[in-house]
Amino acid sequence: MPAHVRNRRSPKIRLAVYLAVLVALALALRYGRTRAAPDLTVSIRDIFPRADSIIRDRGVFRVYADSGLLIGWAGSGQASGYGGPMLLVTGIDTLGQIVGARVVEQRETPIFWRMARPNDLLASLSGKEFDQIDFDRGRVDGITGATLSSEAIFASVRAGVVDVAAGAFDTELPAQERPFEFGLLEIAVLILFVVGIAAQKARGTSRQRIRWATQIAGLLILGFWKDSPITLAKLVAMLSGFFPPVKTSLAMYLLIAGFLITSFFWGRNIYCLYACPFGAAQRLVGLIGGKSIKLPQWSVRLMEGLRNLIVFAAIFMAFLTLQPALASYEPFAALFSLNGTTLQWILLFVVLVASLLIRTPWCDFFCPMRTFEVAVQDLKVATRKPQQRSSDG
Amino acid sequence: MPIFNSGFFWFVEGILCCIVVLGIRAWALDRAIAMPWWKWLAVGMWALFTGFTIAFVGTSLGEGEPTAAVQGGIMFGIVAVLSGVGVWRLWLIGAGPREKQAES
Repeated sequence: MPAHVRNRRSPKIRLAVYLAVLVALALALRYGRTRAAPDLTVSIRDIFPRADSIIRDRGVFRVYADSGLLIGWAGSGQASGYGGPMLLVTGIDTLGQIVGARVVEQRETPIFWRMARPNDLLASLSGKEFDQIDFDRGRVDGITGATLSSEAIFASVRAGVVDVAAGAFDTELPAQERPFEFGLLEIAVLILFVVGIAAQKARGTSRQRIRWATQIAGLLILGFWKDSPITLAKLVAMLSGFFPPVKTSLAMYLLIAGFLITSFFWGRNIYCLYACPFGAAQRLVGLIGGKSIKLPQWSVRLMEGLRNLIVFAAIFMAFLTLQPALASYEPFAALFSLNGTTLQWILLFVVLVASLLIRTPWCDFFCPMRTFEVAVQDLKVATRKPQQRSSDG
Repeated sequence: MPIFNSGFFWFVEGILCCIVVLGIRAWALDRAIAMPWWKWLAVGMWALFTGFTIAFVGTSLGEGEPTAAVQGGIMFGIVAVLSGVGVWRLWLIGAGPREKQAES
């Protein structure tokens, strides 16, 4: 068992800490979920400035002017983005033309939200007949680097349009079936895990060679090509109950499942050891540095404690506000797609420069996955029979 | 910041470049480290890139773009620092073990 995973406190204290953390997070999530639902009529009035009264009827909103004249309909739609579901409302006039659409609620990471250019996307829909819109454009615009966000914007608008079409125009729009995405990324993830597990039987240099090969593959595929490592925001989104569609996020599910299963059953976290692109980047930088300083044990423990505190604070805030993207402090996007906040850029600089002297500093002192790994290992120990535990100890 | 738009900034950067090149040469001669052309090429490219990084930060600030200065400075700064360490290790090729030990 790795040194960082080894129990250092008595089981009772550890159990008490875990319980306190779980209770605090559960309370934060409960608070976040009990917030009042957003008022859609504010957005509808923004779309229809002449609106006087808004009446909900057959799943859509009928919008009337002060003269009592029906001036349009509005429908709301929800779709899953990067950080969770987003809610949009779309207004359609009596001729069937889209008047406008507004974002009521979204949980995207600010950088990716800006990249998705929501205002431009929504403005491009105005004035079009509701049954003439090519909603697949969301996928086309996905090349901007904010694929999930731009797709979710279009899917939310479409959901609202479908409701209005059915409720106001008695028109059934054809169902939009998303294809199951199983491509090179998903195959690569599976191969990385299979090779990583198989490498456990190899020894010494062979295992190191295999590890370098899989890590470099992970760096190129999961990092620079797809920018899809496991992030805290994605984990928090799932823990908040916002599960992205399996059809479009299969690779993420495979990565998380692989991380949990190998950590629990094999006792080795294959994701971090063999697939994580950021771990590979640090190891490559370490090669340039050539030396590795061994830090004193007290400082390692202090940094590990700080890391756990940071991870707890990030998840707590994300639960409290029900904004999973708030938990995203990792500098992965800064390195792999050159997008990041100033803080993430500074963190990237510090981590990469530190990697010249210290072995994988991010993994040991900052990475939330290490905190989850320790928790999974502790869970494994806790679920063992007492005699097994004592024989291990 | 007007200083970054002035000729004085470039004057200082030019002087710094010259000092760096002369300093490296003197340092290597003192330690009898071989200085083939490819080492100079690597050092020259690194110095150019580092100069570009400093210039990027300076001119971005001069144009009133502090965010670009910070993010670009960090982005290019990472490459400059990492490649600087790489060039340093390259430069020590051919140095005796005592020099290597003393300098690293």
